[in-house]
Amino acid sequence: MDLNPPAENYANPKTCFFHVFFKAAALAFYILSALFFSSFVVIFVVTVLLAALDFWVVKNVSGRILVGLRWWNEIDDQGESIWKFECLDQESLARMNKKDSWLFWWTLYLTAVAWIFLGIFSIIRFEPDYLLVVGVCLSLSIANIVGFTKCRKDAKKQIQAFASRTIASHVSSTLQSAFSVV
Amino acid sequence: MSHNDTVPLHPSSQSDIDEIENLINASVQSGPTTVLPARPPSPPRASIPVSSSPFITSNIQPTYQKPPAAPIPVPPALPTSDSSSRASISNGFGSLPNTLTEPVWDTVKRDLSRIVSNLKLVVFPNPYREDPGKALRDWDLWGPFFFIVFLGLTLSWSASVKKSEVFAVAFALLAAGAIILTLNVLLLGGQIIFFQSLSLLGYCLFPLDIGALICMLKDNVIIKVIVVCVTLAWSSWAAYPFMSSAVNPRRKALALYPVFLMYVSVGFLIIAID
Repeated sequence: MDLNPPAENYANPKTCFFHVFFKAAALAFYILSALFFSSFVVIFVVTVLLAALDFWVVKNVSGRILVGLRWWNEIDDQGESIWKFECLDQESLARMNKKDSWLFWWTLYLTAVAWIFLGIFSIIRFEPDYLLVVGVCLSLSIANIVGFTKCRKDAKKQIQAFASRTIASHVSSTLQSAFSVV
Repeated sequence: MSHNDTVPLHPSSQSDIDEIENLINASVQSGPTTVLPARPPSPPRASIPVSSSPFITSNIQPTYQKPPAAPIPVPPALPTSDSSSRASISNGFGSLPNTLTEPVWDTVKRDLSRIVSNLKLVVFPNPYREDPGKALRDWDLWGPFFFIVFLGLTLSWSASVKKSEVFAVAFALLAAGAIILTLNVLLLGGQIIFFQSLSLLGYCLFPLDIGALICMLKDNVIIKVIVVCVTLAWSSWAAYPFMSSAVNPRRKALALYPVFLMYVSVGFLIIAID
């Protein structure tokens, strides 16, 4: 992963904005609220609400639009829980805007790192209450990271499987046509 | 592919996604050269096309999901190491959901209606429901998130001192309690999905929420005790069918007793706050 964004423009500026907005709002509110509010309850509720909204937006909106990945859980009739990871096919994946996906992945990882730092701060300052907030926000970020990373791995596996299938079918059809000509 | 020419190319990604869906549908169908799209390409929309995460793939019946979902509604997401869960790699060429292009408001309405239907299913009396264990198939964690936060806020509001501690304690108690109760059922050899059980225990807090609200408004101790007893019984009654159907009948009491204990402790919190 490189540190510089690719040269093209954003293809989905509004989605990118919302993707970043809720994360930044949750972090900013948490950090700045100590200056304005003394009530832990308000800080907790607002921060966790923003983090929950961010989770929903990333999972349902920006994941689908910016990188073409989707993951979810369903329970089938036998009562078993199945995690599903889905991605677009390779052609469309290759067409996804590079800058969008750069932004998507970088902000995803950076938020988790930021929350880890804030958690360490709150431990150092002996404020276990705030660890609750950090814990909730961190688990939400990590959930999204894990989900989308698994999507990506599955995407690569599927692409390889598709490639091998396509190559096999091409080879067999070429052989067939070669034999029919002969 | 020939149908590429029939689909107009717009600069917006909206139509790109329509096109993608057409391509995928074309790859799924093996025969004819002209392929009808799954639905007509949607006109460019001003709103962000979003959807929640439905399970619509070509080989599975549509059911639905969660926020924060958490979320909470959110928080649902890490695959458990439970032996009954497995990650399945879905076919990348399955049909994309038709909800891909629905406007935001539709998604929000759908999520809200799912929360309401889950609530009705879990909490309200329905002697004719077929199999309580099967309910809450489409679990979500938004509902439990709202109920736990609401309970914490109500308790914190009613408290005259140490409001922050009350909120933190209530939230931690409920969240940790739900997780521990679920682990309890799993360790007893019960067949229950982790998030399903969390969702259930969260929804069963709804009567206690109402009780806490009433207690906040009326300060008489006798009324508080009566209200808390009634709502406590309601909560336990709501949780009973799901929990008992998940475990071996000989271990029913072992699974249900801690649930009852947790709700009793929350009830005491409500009564004792002044």
